[in-house]
Amino acid sequence: MARSYLFIPGDVPRMLQNMDVFEADAVIVDFEDAIATHTKDEARDLTRAFITKHHENLPDIYVRVNAVEHDDFMRDIDALFGLDITGIVLPKADTHALKRYRETFEKKGEHPLHLIALIETPRACLDMLAIADYPLVRALMLGGEDLTSALATARTNARTEIATARGLMVLAAAAAGIDSIDTPYPVVDHPEGLQADIAQSVAFGFSAKACIHPNHVDAVNRAFTPSQAAVDEARRILAMHEKTGSTRFSLDGNMIDKPIIERAKNVIKQAGIHGRDLP
Amino acid sequence: MKPYKDIAHLFDDLGIRHGASLSFHHHLRNGDAVQNLVLDEVKRRNLKALDLYPSAVFPVHTTLLSLLKAGHIKRLTTNYLNGPVADYFATHGTPDMLRMQSHGGRARAIIEGDNAIDVAFIAAPAVDREGNATGLEGPAACGSLGYAMEDVKHASTVVLITDTLVDRLDGAQIIGADVDHVLLVNSIGDATGILSGTLSLTRDPIGVKIARTAMRLLDALDVVNDGFSFQSGAGGISLRVVDMLHEKMKRDHIRASFFSGGITAYHVTMLESGLVETLYDVQCFDLEAVASLKRNANHIAISADRYANPRNDARVIATLDCVILGATEIDTDFNVNVTTDSHNTIIGGSGGHSDTAEDAGLSIIVTPLIKGRIPVIKDRVTTITTPGSTIDVLITERGVAVNPARSDIQTRLDKAGFSTTSITDLMRTAHALCGVPATTARQVNPVGFVESRHGKRLDTLYTKE
Repeated sequence: MARSYLFIPGDVPRMLQNMDVFEADAVIVDFEDAIATHTKDEARDLTRAFITKHHENLPDIYVRVNAVEHDDFMRDIDALFGLDITGIVLPKADTHALKRYRETFEKKGEHPLHLIALIETPRACLDMLAIADYPLVRALMLGGEDLTSALATARTNARTEIATARGLMVLAAAAAGIDSIDTPYPVVDHPEGLQADIAQSVAFGFSAKACIHPNHVDAVNRAFTPSQAAVDEARRILAMHEKTGSTRFSLDGNMIDKPIIERAKNVIKQAGIHGRDLP
Repeated sequence: MKPYKDIAHLFDDLGIRHGASLSFHHHLRNGDAVQNLVLDEVKRRNLKALDLYPSAVFPVHTTLLSLLKAGHIKRLTTNYLNGPVADYFATHGTPDMLRMQSHGGRARAIIEGDNAIDVAFIAAPAVDREGNATGLEGPAACGSLGYAMEDVKHASTVVLITDTLVDRLDGAQIIGADVDHVLLVNSIGDATGILSGTLSLTRDPIGVKIARTAMRLLDALDVVNDGFSFQSGAGGISLRVVDMLHEKMKRDHIRASFFSGGITAYHVTMLESGLVETLYDVQCFDLEAVASLKRNANHIAISADRYANPRNDARVIATLDCVILGATEIDTDFNVNVTTDSHNTIIGGSGGHSDTAEDAGLSIIVTPLIKGRIPVIKDRVTTITTPGSTIDVLITERGVAVNPARSDIQTRLDKAGFSTTSITDLMRTAHALCGVPATTARQVNPVGFVESRHGKRLDTLYTKE
């Protein structure tokens, strides 16, 4: 139940060394867009050396490899064999790419690593349920910038251009019982814009959000941790549920039924995982 | 008072000779032209064995360098130096040639006669016909003249050097009665040169995390309440703390009694938003601070004596609740070095570091645990600028350590559920990430010493590796 997924470039030693400092629940070491062609080998070597040597107290580590049709894809996968990482972020994910990914491991006689499927094309948006249902996929992540480019439109502050994809992703992930990770806010130093974008992520119902800068992590973590008021409310609902033994009752004039009770349980679970004070 | 227009004429009349002790202030920082102007005349006259008391030395001070190279300087006493002059001392200095004081220590030493100054040359942005002067007017307006005030009061002879003569000044910082002569020149310097510090809040994620941790610590210790007082350095992390403090005070409707020290636009904004009652300004760090000092009665220029002289019971920092400071090195006894790097290269000096650390109710060091792959925590710092007995808390991106001498702080943090570790464990963490530094600087050839604010020898400076 990670809240924040922080992208860090694989070719910057200082960022790798400090991956546990930024307080992201998970990091995504990037071998793809953030890495120039001539430093991709460096990124693979540094990442492998760092994770091999420093494996204690690290957050969940994913690696964004290059897309399956890219020449560097196999080099990326080879560099990751045997490493203690949580999974792979697969760019330009669609059903074809997922198949290629699985076959790559099968040819080597290896068990494929779990995936976060990065959805960044219009076709993938329309195939999201099939992608979410694919056995290796543990989460969907929206790639807002590539999708916006593919739609030949401009990025807006209101993010209207990705609203449909956001809604579809939350539905597809929920239907498949996996996590949905919203696209990162693309501006490094604009706190108000960041807060507004995070509020949209929460309102859409995403389970987490990606971050392109460590300074975004704190705000994301706070937004995806239930507030004390939400925890208090959930506790009251569950206390009443326990007292009455019923899944249908009134509290403060509001009708409480099974979905609300389940949501309250989720709030308590999230709060417990992420350190919100509980009695 | 009739101004001199020719420095040679002034030198003739003053009878400045070999062995003279001369002082300067550094309010124009790297924009200062006055020290070079005076020392050019010293050079022309081939004066030797000079005893100099600039409150700080910057790269702009090139004539001082040439006099050092020519062997004309007997001793330099200052609070801060960097650039070529600093490098010269670290490579060619001789024993006791460099004496480094703190801002409060310099004021004390001048008042008590330890720093006996024959002639104080004061860069004065505007001067009137009676010799009254201010830092608030003129093309090189630099704001507060706090570090010059003791020189003016106690030097045998006081010379104001100005490029702006006016008929009359109201609210002068320097009173004509304390002034012996005025020298009119084309320019005393460039006020934009005062922007030579860090002066912008850090966006580096490690720095931001440290600042956020500092705010959590202030919360856990319940420091930020109505009437509290605060000072920070002008480093990027310290200014980020100020920015976060601003947000918290605005959100929680908290008003501080005063902020002190070097003042920046960040402090001015808080004064003007009503979040701080008074700014006590010993030095303006940017031009917004200069403008504010001119227009806001609650932005008050103070002398170094009033700011930090340990013998002055009314000093401002005696009632300071909290100070946030940086460190180049810190050791397991919490001694802090901001004077040299690990190779004996001189990179700065105390300024107000050791003054505020000793006086503030809570002194906090904020620093990344690792800088350029070198751990900041050492078994022993290369140079002690600020004694560990005066440092309370170290905050890094990988944990917070409380000085064991401050068990009261440790207890309060424990009660608040604020996690801490030991400074030794932090050092081990750094070593695990980047190894133990292979060598430390050799300490063989002394070039000077660091003096505590009370006038005691604190540590020795050596030639660099």
